[in-house]
Amino acid sequence: MNPGDTEKISKAELDREFSELYRAHLRDVYSYAYYRVGNHHDAEDLTEQAFLQAYRHFERARRESDGRPMRPWLIRIAHNLAANLYRDRARRPEANIEAVEPPAHPHSTERVVEGREELRLLMRKLEGLPDDRREALIMRFALGMDNREIARAMGKTDGATKVLIHRALKQLEELMDAERGDTLDE
Amino acid sequence: MSEAGRMDLEALLADALRPIEPPEDVAGRVESMLSAITEEAAAALGSWAEELSDSELDSLRDPRNWVRPVAAVAIGGVAAGALVLVEARRRRKPTGLRANASRLIGDFAGDLRR
Repeated sequence: MNPGDTEKISKAELDREFSELYRAHLRDVYSYAYYRVGNHHDAEDLTEQAFLQAYRHFERARRESDGRPMRPWLIRIAHNLAANLYRDRARRPEANIEAVEPPAHPHSTERVVEGREELRLLMRKLEGLPDDRREALIMRFALGMDNREIARAMGKTDGATKVLIHRALKQLEELMDAERGDTLDE
Repeated sequence: MSEAGRMDLEALLADALRPIEPPEDVAGRVESMLSAITEEAAAALGSWAEELSDSELDSLRDPRNWVRPVAAVAIGGVAAGALVLVEARRRRKPTGLRANASRLIGDFAGDLRR
């Protein structure tokens, strides 16, 4: 049965479908939560709350999805919960490097260190982006979502999302270049 | 932004923003929360159905227990009917010769008092 089917399905069938959705996207929701809030403790709570809300509204969302993927809907729930959690800008998390391992450069220790520094810089600059740009990049790179999915998760049009991601990348590159320039000047 | 610069940045982002595997206890927590909700809902539904089938349904099926409700409905119906009749009588205006005469006498007595 397709998720878009309008006929009423049994509670057991709904639970089974939700269970599949949960297994398929637990990592996505957790990754998104982690990069939004910056620590495992809040990410765990956020993930739990997101799935609880999703479960409550699953039947309706399933009916309204019309067969489209449910991942953007899940991420939107996590997005709204995170927005509520960090509505106060003062509580916004600091850049967190906990999860970022150095890139795999097997050739020299020097390059590993360089890579780690580059990642630290990137994460710091990512935190400096406006919220919507940062979130779009998290969805694109941490979750591998395409423009259409990101648009649905953020409640924007596909065109607006494309522009948003382009501007986010441009701004991030400019910030990185400026930092590198400053470092060279010193 | 140059194409090469964009590619480098995207590669760096993909490296920095790797998916994070949730700790095992998160999966456990979410699963137990969901099964608790499901069980709670099932238990609530089950106990309601049980109550109905064990006590109410059994007693409703037994004809010996129909006497009281039927008697209650009959007595209630008679009482309600009586009340309606009394109220209707109270509201009904008296008509006929006797009523006219008594109204005239009342009016005359009032005039004398004035």
